[in-house]
Amino acid sequence: MQSEFDEDQRLWQSTVREVLAKECTPALVRAVVDADADPAGLWQTYTNLGWTQLVDASEMVELAILVEELGRATDPTPFLATMTQFVPLAPGVAEPKQTGAAVYEGVTARRDGDGWVLDGAARHVLDADRADWLAVVTAEGVFALPAARATIRRVPVFDPVLHVGEVTLAGVRVADGALTGADPEKARHQALTGLAITMVGACQRVLDLVLEHARTRQQFGVPIGSFQAVKHKAADMHVAIERARALAYFAALTIATNDPRRRLAASMAKASAGECQSVVFRHGLQLFGGMGYTWENDLQFALKRAKAGEALLGGADEHRALVAKESLALTGVDSRAAHV
Amino acid sequence: MQLTFDDDVEAFRAEFVAFLEANLPSAGEADRPSRSTADIPEWARRWQRLQFDAGWLLPGNPPEFGGRNAGILQQYVHLEELSKRRILHSFNPQGVGIIAASLLSFGTPEQKRRWAVPLLRAEITAALGMSEPGAGSDLASLRTRAVLDGDHFVVNGQKVWTSGAHDADVILTFVRTDPDAPKHKGISVLLIPSDTPGVTRRPFGSIASPDDLDFNEVFFDNARVPAENLVGPLNGGWGVANGSLGHERTLLWLIFAERLADLLVDFHPVTTLDEDRYATLVMDAHALRWMGSAALAREARGEQDVAALSVLKLLGSEAAQAATEAAFESAGADALDHPVLTGPLSHLSLEAYVSGWFERYARTFSGTIAGGTSEIQRTIIAERVLGLPRG
Ligand SMILES: Cc1cc2nc3c(=O)[nH]c(=O)nc-3n(C[C@H](O)[C@H](O)[C@H](O)COP(=O)(O)OP(=O)(O)OC[C@H]3O[C@@H](n4cnc5c(N)ncnc54)[C@H](O)[C@@H]3O)c2cc1C
Repeated sequence: MQSEFDEDQRLWQSTVREVLAKECTPALVRAVVDADADPAGLWQTYTNLGWTQLVDASEMVELAILVEELGRATDPTPFLATMTQFVPLAPGVAEPKQTGAAVYEGVTARRDGDGWVLDGAARHVLDADRADWLAVVTAEGVFALPAARATIRRVPVFDPVLHVGEVTLAGVRVADGALTGADPEKARHQALTGLAITMVGACQRVLDLVLEHARTRQQFGVPIGSFQAVKHKAADMHVAIERARALAYFAALTIATNDPRRRLAASMAKASAGECQSVVFRHGLQLFGGMGYTWENDLQFALKRAKAGEALLGGADEHRALVAKESLALTGVDSRAAHV
Repeated sequence: MQLTFDDDVEAFRAEFVAFLEANLPSAGEADRPSRSTADIPEWARRWQRLQFDAGWLLPGNPPEFGGRNAGILQQYVHLEELSKRRILHSFNPQGVGIIAASLLSFGTPEQKRRWAVPLLRAEITAALGMSEPGAGSDLASLRTRAVLDGDHFVVNGQKVWTSGAHDADVILTFVRTDPDAPKHKGISVLLIPSDTPGVTRRPFGSIASPDDLDFNEVFFDNARVPAENLVGPLNGGWGVANGSLGHERTLLWLIFAERLADLLVDFHPVTTLDEDRYATLVMDAHALRWMGSAALAREARGEQDVAALSVLKLLGSEAAQAATEAAFESAGADALDHPVLTGPLSHLSLEAYVSGWFERYARTFSGTIAGGTSEIQRTIIAERVLGLPRG
C-alpha cells in the first residue's frame, strides 16, 4: 500500500498548479460572474495542453490530481462534467475540443424498428446547457447523441459560476450506433470521485483563504489566528480535508486498478467530501467574520462550489447508507481482510 | 500510488504468519490474565521471549534487541497481522514501546544490556513516570526534584497516572535537575528501580472499577538513585521525551486503526441511524490507514514530520471514541450488562478482562487524553502544520 504520489504525479500536480495560477485566476472567475466573461479561451488552453486526453480509467489518479486543482481554482469551464461524467459514459465519442454532459436518470429508451426512441426529462444536469454532446443513461443502455437533439435550458442556481441545465428529450430517434456500450456503474464511480475531489479542492481553497485571513486580520491587538478558538476550528477543517482527500484518492486508485472495492470507495469519497464541505463551509465563513458575508469577497466562489457539490449525485447521508450496505456485505466474508 | 504491498513485504508477512501459527500460546496455556499494563503473567513472558529470540518482537531492531533489521513497511505489516488477530504486542506496552525504545536511542551500552534487553525479553517490566499532579499537558512544568549527591541522585516529589507502576520493576522518571534553567532545559530522565527505599507506589481505581488497578501515585522521599541510571544527557530530558515519543508516534495511530478494525466486527448496526454511524466508522478506518501509510513512507525515507502525526492521532482517537459510543448505543439496554464480552476478545488481548461497552467507551478517552490531549493536538496542527501564530 502506497498512498503517496509518485514522482511523475508530483510533477504533474505542480505543472497543473502553475498553469492554473496563470490562466484560471481569481480575476477571471470574478469576470465570468460579474461581467459575463466567456471561459471559452480557458477551455481552449486546457485542450491545447492535452488535458482532455486523460480519458482512460487507468489514468483516474492523474485526472483526480487535475480536478482537485480545478476545484481549488473554481474552474469556470465544463471540464468536470465532460471528463468525469460524459467521457466515462461515452468513451471515444467526442473530439478532444468538444464538451459533454451526462443525463443519469429520467429518460426511457423504446425500441423502434432498427433504432431507438428516447423520451424523458432531467433536471440539474451539470453543464448540459453548454455541452456539444449528451450521454444518456437508460435501462436499455447508454446512448450518446449531439446535444442539439435535445431541448436544454440553463437553470439559475446559487453558485454563479456553475452551469446547470434542464434537459428534455421528446421522442428523439437514435440509431443502434448511438449505444456506447459503457458500464454505467463504473462511470458513476468516476463521476462520484471526480465530484468528490473537486469539492476537496474547493474546501482547500477555503482553508487557504481562512489561514491567510487569520494571519493578517488583527483584533485585540493580535492576529485572530493566535486565538485558540480560531486555531481549533482551522485544525478541524484541515483534518476534514485530509480525510476526504485520502478517501477520494483511494477511490481514484480503485478505479484506475479496477479494484473490487470501487463501489464502496466511490461512495466513501462522496460522503466524506460532503462531510468535509459541511465543516469547512461553517467554520470558513464564521472565521471570516462580516468580510466573508459579502459579494465582493472571493471566498463565496469556493464555498459555493463545495456546497453545490454536496447537492449533486447524492449527498453525504445517501452515500453513507450505501457505504454501510456495501461494507456490511463485505463483512460477511472476512471483514478485516476486506477492509485493511 | 498503489493499493498493494511489494512482494518482499508480502513474503515477510507470510513468514511472520507462519511463525504465529506455529507458536501462538493456546488459551489453555494462559492460566491467568494480566492485571495491569506492567503485569506479564509467566505464560506471556515465555511468549514474549520466544518472539524476542526469533527476531519477531520488534522486527525493526537488530537481532540483539529482538528484531531482524526490518524496514518500516515490514514493521507495519507485522503490527497489522498482530492486530488482525487481536494480539497485544506486549502485556507491558509502555515498557517495550517507550521505555526500551528510549534506552535503545539514548542509553549507554551498559544501560541497554542491564535494562533494555531484560525489558524486551519480559524478564522485567517498566512504568513511565512523566505526569505529576501539577504537570499534565504542561509536562515541562514538572517539579519532582533530583539532586546529585556524590554518585547518587536524591529524588523527592510525586508522579501520578503512572500506569502499572505497582507491578513494574523500574520506573522511567522525568525529574528536574536544574531548577534555575528555563523549564524545558532543566529536566533529566532517571531509571528508578521500584524497590528503591523511599519509593512508594499507590495504585488507584479507574472510572471502570475500583478493582481496575492500573493508575498509580508514586511518591519519592529521599530516594537514592545511582548516577549511572541517568538516561541521556544531564538536563537533556526534554530531548529524550520528544525523541522516543516522537519515534513511537509514527506507529501510534495504528493503535487507533486497530480499535476501528475491531469495531467493524463488534458493532452490529440495528437501526438506520446505527448504519449511518457504522458508515462513518468504515470511512474513518479507511482514511486513517490511507493517511497513515503516507507517514510510514516518510519515516522510511528518514523524514521526520512529527506535527503531521498529530493529524493521525487526533483523527484516530476521536474516530475510535465516536464509533465506540455508536456501538455502545446500538446495543440498547444490553449495554448495561457488566461485565460482558462485546467482541471475540482472546487471552492475548489486554481488553479481555474489561470488555463491557461502558469500559470500552471509557477507554477511548485514554486515546483523547494521554499522549497529548485532543486540544493540544489541535493547537499543534494549527501552529506547526497550518502556520498560525503561537500565543
Ligand atoms: C489511561 C491513561 C493512562 C496514562 N498513563 C500515564 C503513564 O503511564 N505515565 C504518565 O506519565 N502519564 C500517564 N497518563 C497521564 C497523561 O499523560 C495526562 O493525563 C495528560 O498529559 C493530560 O494531563 P492532565 O490529565 O493533567 O490534564 P490537563 O493537562 O489538566 O488537561 C485538562 C483539560 O484541559 C485541557 N488543556 C490543558 N492545557 C491546554 C491548553 N494549553 N490548551 C487547551 N486546552 C488545554 C486539556 O486538553 C484537557 O481537556 C495517563 C493518562 C490516562 C488517561
